[in-house]
Amino acid sequence: MERDLRLDFFRGLALFCIFIDHLPNNVLAQFTLQSVMFADAAEVFILISGYTAGMVYGRALESRGFLVTGIRIYHRLWQLYVAHIFLFTIFLAMVAHTEASLNQSLYAEEFGATNFLSEPGLALVQALMLQFQPAFMDILPLYIVLVAVLPLALAGFRSWPGTVSLASFVLWLAVQVDNRVALAAYPGPDRMWFFNPFAWQALFLLGAWLGWRNIHGGVSWLNRRWLLWLAAVFSLTAFLIRFNWTLHDFYDPIPVLIQIKLLWPLLSKTDLGLLRLLNVLAVALLVAKLIRPQAQFLTGAAAWPFLICGRNSLYIFCLGILLSVLGHLVLNEFFGGVAMQFAVSIAGIVIMIGVAALLEWFVAAQGRPGGGAVGAPTASKGAHG
Amino acid sequence: MIFLFLRGSTIMIAAMTAGLLFASVGAFAEECSVPDRFYAFEPALTKTVKALSSRRDVAIVTLGGASTLGVAAGGLEFSWPARLAAALAERFPSTRIRVINLAVARQTAKRAVERLDHDVLSLKPTLVIWETGTMEAVRGTDIEEFRQTLQSGIDKVRGAGAEAVLMNMQFSRPTETVIHFEPYLVTMNELADVNDVPLFRRHGIMRHWAESGALDLRVEEGKKSREIAAKLYDCIGLAMADLMTRDIAAAPPTKPLRGNR
Repeated sequence: MERDLRLDFFRGLALFCIFIDHLPNNVLAQFTLQSVMFADAAEVFILISGYTAGMVYGRALESRGFLVTGIRIYHRLWQLYVAHIFLFTIFLAMVAHTEASLNQSLYAEEFGATNFLSEPGLALVQALMLQFQPAFMDILPLYIVLVAVLPLALAGFRSWPGTVSLASFVLWLAVQVDNRVALAAYPGPDRMWFFNPFAWQALFLLGAWLGWRNIHGGVSWLNRRWLLWLAAVFSLTAFLIRFNWTLHDFYDPIPVLIQIKLLWPLLSKTDLGLLRLLNVLAVALLVAKLIRPQAQFLTGAAAWPFLICGRNSLYIFCLGILLSVLGHLVLNEFFGGVAMQFAVSIAGIVIMIGVAALLEWFVAAQGRPGGGAVGAPTASKGAHG
Repeated sequence: MIFLFLRGSTIMIAAMTAGLLFASVGAFAEECSVPDRFYAFEPALTKTVKALSSRRDVAIVTLGGASTLGVAAGGLEFSWPARLAAALAERFPSTRIRVINLAVARQTAKRAVERLDHDVLSLKPTLVIWETGTMEAVRGTDIEEFRQTLQSGIDKVRGAGAEAVLMNMQFSRPTETVIHFEPYLVTMNELADVNDVPLFRRHGIMRHWAESGALDLRVEEGKKSREIAAKLYDCIGLAMADLMTRDIAAAPPTKPLRGNR
């Protein structure tokens, strides 16, 4: 079966967007996914990850059974966990390095209120339990929790698809109705997981279900023409509203078409608000119907950087986080205005592409048997992240 | 493909570096002046401006945390509200202006809203300047909750007939990588925008001062760090006075508003 290049491409795109959005004060962040739709790169990343996981592990479940597939998924989970701890160690090193100046800084007073500097031991334990999610280290814990429930969800799709889907939806709905349905985080009395797993599971499991259905002939009602039109109209409306806000941010006198205040309750990123969910699904449907898996532009040279980053997404994601931390240091130390923001953004993306290319080359050089696309062997083994 | 990519990216980086060299030349600013873009589009404080020019009593209440208390500079008399009071007194010599600083170190936005009725609005202020967001960013408070808290605070202040100004967080190099300010800054931008409340963009302004070299915020030990903080709060007080009174410039000016630094 030929690899679906769209998955790699859009995951690569999401990874670049996540990196750019994480740089401070970055002009380019006005031109990423978040400025043209209600959702942003995080939704795209989680949806595609869910879809790929559902497809790859769903196939494994059919051929190898529950136990082997479950262990394979938990092996993947272990890799994600190690990656999380690696990023946390870097964060800790950075804090330790700047601790003296933090305590001297203009923020010393407020900083004293967070106790993790005074009790690094506890902070470490909390990080091991995924409860401590400092700046930027919030998406991997979510992903880890989602992958952890995947074996059960897949088994459920086989036996009681209706029940699993309903439970997932009801849980998401519960979060929308009452945002106390959340996971507490460390430190502090009112800190919660930035990505509420009770809400975000809906997107991941929906993706997984679609991926699972895909190996069983797809979902027929998704082919309805009116649904495609609905998705197109919704996406276009969302684009007009969101892009209008972007322009208004850019230049205040540009009038706002729809007050953001009216839509706030539906736009929560933490709780995956309704408009964010619908928007990413509508765009995904449009992409799925309008772009072929092997479309010409996907096989061209321009798409290549996106494809290789999307294929090695766990490594490139971690690298992106690391680079955005470094980018922070550079931009806040040397400033340099818009030119510097461009330079740091481009340099980071070039490094991401470079490392992805190296990974691809390395896999090929090892001469593993595989299909046409380099990296395919990893995919068929179930490395979906 | 890899070779093409390497060649392309080398050319690109070289071009960016060249651009950078041009960009870094220039950009020397007068000491702690604030470029127009930071408040060009902020809504006017009509009531406050009117009260200030009317030679009556004007009460301004400031809410906030340690940075509004002037902790880093060593005391209330060095805080930005005190400097604001001095600047306003100089500009409106015949109006009796009281700036009442009700900041409490480490106070959350939620606690500030709880205090509004009893401690703040009972003083019948013309203007409430609310410095907030720091504790929320440090603690990672839920964004939605933060938004609702600020909204209810703004509604309360306006319901009592007072005007409001929001002030966002400070900028400091070491904290930027450790605390994720961005979502809270964005939320405050949006709130100020939809409510037509002026926002004092302290984060951006301090970043600009650090970048232009107007104020070196790198804090060293002991006495020096207090001096730097005092200078910073002085600049913020003056800039706040500029933000509040910039519309009066249209009326016949009695003395230059932006001079005399």
